[in-house]
Amino acid sequence: MATKAPTQTEFGEVSRIKGIVFKYVSFVASIVGILALGVLLAYVFWDALGLESAGTGWYLAYTGTLLVPLLAFFAYARTRPEVVAGAFELFSLTLAGVMLTVASVIILSIIASPAVWFAYFLTVVGPLLALFVYGQYEREATWVGLAMLLTLVAGPVVGTLGLGILTTLGSLLGSPGVYFLSLVIPGAALAAFLAAERFDASRRLSLGIGVALPALAVVAVPLVDTVPAISRSVWLIALVMLGLPVGYAVANTARTRERRSAFALPVIAVAGFLAGGAIVDAIGATKPSPWLDWQYLTSSPSISNAAEAGLYPAIIGSIFLIVLVSVFTFVFGVGAAIYLEEYAPDNGVLGTATRIINVNISNLAGVPSVVYGLLGLGIFVNIEAQLGPLTYGGFGVGTVFTAALTLSLLILPIVIISAQEAIRSVPSSLRQASYGMGATRWQTIRNVVLPRSLPGILTGTILALGRAIGETAPLIMIGAATTKFSPPAGLFSKLTAMPMQIYAWAFLPGEDFRYGVVAAGVVTLLIVMLTMNSVAILVRNKYQQEAN
Amino acid sequence: MTDSPSGGLSRRRFLTSSGALGALALAGCTEQSSGSGSGSGSGTGTSAGGSTDSAGGQLSGEITLTGSSTVYPLATAIGNEFQKEHDQVDISLSPTGSGGGFSNHFCVGNSDFNNASRPITQSEQDLCSENGVEYHEINVATDALTVIVNTENDWVDCMTPDQLRQIWRADGASTWADVNADWPDEPIKRFGAADTSGTFDYFNEAILGEEANHTGNYEATEKDNLILQGVQQDQYGIGYFGFAYYQGNQSAVKALGIDNGNGCVKPSIESAKAGEYKPLSRPLFTYPRKEALAEEHIAEFARFYVEQSANADLVSEQIGFVPKTEETMQSELEALNQVISEVQ
Repeated sequence: MATKAPTQTEFGEVSRIKGIVFKYVSFVASIVGILALGVLLAYVFWDALGLESAGTGWYLAYTGTLLVPLLAFFAYARTRPEVVAGAFELFSLTLAGVMLTVASVIILSIIASPAVWFAYFLTVVGPLLALFVYGQYEREATWVGLAMLLTLVAGPVVGTLGLGILTTLGSLLGSPGVYFLSLVIPGAALAAFLAAERFDASRRLSLGIGVALPALAVVAVPLVDTVPAISRSVWLIALVMLGLPVGYAVANTARTRERRSAFALPVIAVAGFLAGGAIVDAIGATKPSPWLDWQYLTSSPSISNAAEAGLYPAIIGSIFLIVLVSVFTFVFGVGAAIYLEEYAPDNGVLGTATRIINVNISNLAGVPSVVYGLLGLGIFVNIEAQLGPLTYGGFGVGTVFTAALTLSLLILPIVIISAQEAIRSVPSSLRQASYGMGATRWQTIRNVVLPRSLPGILTGTILALGRAIGETAPLIMIGAATTKFSPPAGLFSKLTAMPMQIYAWAFLPGEDFRYGVVAAGVVTLLIVMLTMNSVAILVRNKYQQEAN
Repeated sequence: MTDSPSGGLSRRRFLTSSGALGALALAGCTEQSSGSGSGSGSGTGTSAGGSTDSAGGQLSGEITLTGSSTVYPLATAIGNEFQKEHDQVDISLSPTGSGGGFSNHFCVGNSDFNNASRPITQSEQDLCSENGVEYHEINVATDALTVIVNTENDWVDCMTPDQLRQIWRADGASTWADVNADWPDEPIKRFGAADTSGTFDYFNEAILGEEANHTGNYEATEKDNLILQGVQQDQYGIGYFGFAYYQGNQSAVKALGIDNGNGCVKPSIESAKAGEYKPLSRPLFTYPRKEALAEEHIAEFARFYVEQSANADLVSEQIGFVPKTEETMQSELEALNQVISEVQ
């Protein structure tokens, strides 16, 4: 419509049609893509939550008590960015707290026993915390960093050698005692510190907070004992891992006047949920019969009876795996990126080597995951090498450690590339200024480069972890189990992961499996992944605000 | 309780008071937990790699099963039952296909059991003996391989093995009319098992025999539901898979009877049990590794596996295989016990 032959006017007319066509084609394409995905997810959630069987009364009740107030809150918050920020912080820190609690319960009490955790707390975590705190107070003590590094290397060795004695000590204390000493006391110190530093609370108030937390831990024990689902250990872990983030979010939101209306969100959610339940009971409406329920999350898989099927061993396996993978990739990935960007020579023979490494890393990011599975099978399972007196025979077929290393290999290139991009985006004038103040290269990296590039690094890492948690092919290659009835007992026992079990269910004869149970598994996987992502988004936003 | 009114608290004072509080709380915690019998928080507190602590006669350790995806549901159901009785035993199952399990896992010593929907082949035996892996063969159930057609297929209810051979052999019939002139002159759409599967091997042997090759002109898959969907969507489709999958989807497709000279016999648990459903009823196996049977928890699981193979409720109702009779189960159990006593 806008095309015209060249006219006599001097500048002529330029066709805008290409630009307009491009704009609308892209728009329609992305809308179609998002809608298709949305419809698919809606189907999956519909099946997983068994919404088909719910009666009209149930829908009406929850629309009235939960959906409408929530929509009203969103409409209200739309024009108030402070409220949105507050509500997002409350929501994601609560999610993060739940995630942390679940992960801690899984790692500290299911995978490692409390006594083993206590042994390593005494030799690794405790000294590290103490050194860190000392380093914060005594800025002059430059040996602290080195001492921390030494603890990190020597601590695990000492802990492993003295495991016998130290676990006896831990068992003497009993598991609640262990968690009280190793979590609640440091948690109380952290709470007191945060109150004083972040919220400018008076000294007495912060000390009061520091004392109140352990006191609460003890005082609430009789109450906790009446709830059979929560053991004392779980209560102590949740108090620290869930209580601290939620407390922080609440304090942070309450501090700013404009943010306070954000508290309406949790109030609406909880009250709406309870009111909806009460109304449904009162009018006797048919409730949905979800596949995804507590039984599903806590029982072991079944092949013959869909109603008894559960995902528990696979959930634990996946979370164990992803925790290990995130530690490996963060340490190795960010380390490699810092080296390549800040230390590696970029001219001469060594410079050529650096360029070759960079090109290779970019190429490795595109290698299919099956190939990484084969690589993992080769170097972590089937290898037999004689290194002097030591024989290296791999880490076992389908063990947690093998799987974590293989998945780390898979996502390391992506993590390295995104971390390099993020480090490169820090203006070099900042570095020069830091050098000009007499800072060393390491100090510059720690105090200038890393804080500015952390949002980018975290974004890349989290996206990569999201890919890792859904991977199946490398796990099949290294011989991970498809079905297990108990979670992995340690680093070197076999594991199964959520995608493996979901894939096996998807090909069973029963319709209940192919639709209900599989859908519930997919939703569980999505929830774990989205929780992880939302925590990352929060951290990223925080650092972005600080950087600006 | 430590909130002394003397203005600014000294650090030492705070340390002592909070330390006292901590000690107090700790004492409370430990005493309570030991007092309330068997510790409320330490229910799952087993240390890693505890395969040696079978002091109280409780079995513990790892068991790995690989092999046929046909037998996988049966093995999983039995494993689940076993786990309920011995919760310290850690069972891992992977459906790898009969051949895949032998060559990649079992014969290199990486798994304790390999399930198979056909007997072990000569080349697999060679691979096992090359690696010094000895095994014991256990027949755990019987499956009725089921040939299915579309529900709108109204021209055939029954086929002879010879007709099946014409359809599935290489260079065989290309339209239904090629097999029987009364049938429609439409191309045959075939859906079958991939050649890594024991189902393929068995069908090949039972129907095609030595002289004919399996056609390559078909949709080959390891996944039974793809065969089901293919046949369900195509009026001229034909496919085959284990009876268990048909039992779960009886209304979706039509199962063909087999006429092996004694009239038409429909696939069912009863006909396979009576030995009438021929030649497509096939034995299913599991192969424990002899070396692994030396360990008590694996030997116990092998016994349990054999005992459960006569459990009609589990084998036929839940899974869809033909269970073993009490006598054949007993003779399998004796043979197994013989092997176990040799290695232990």
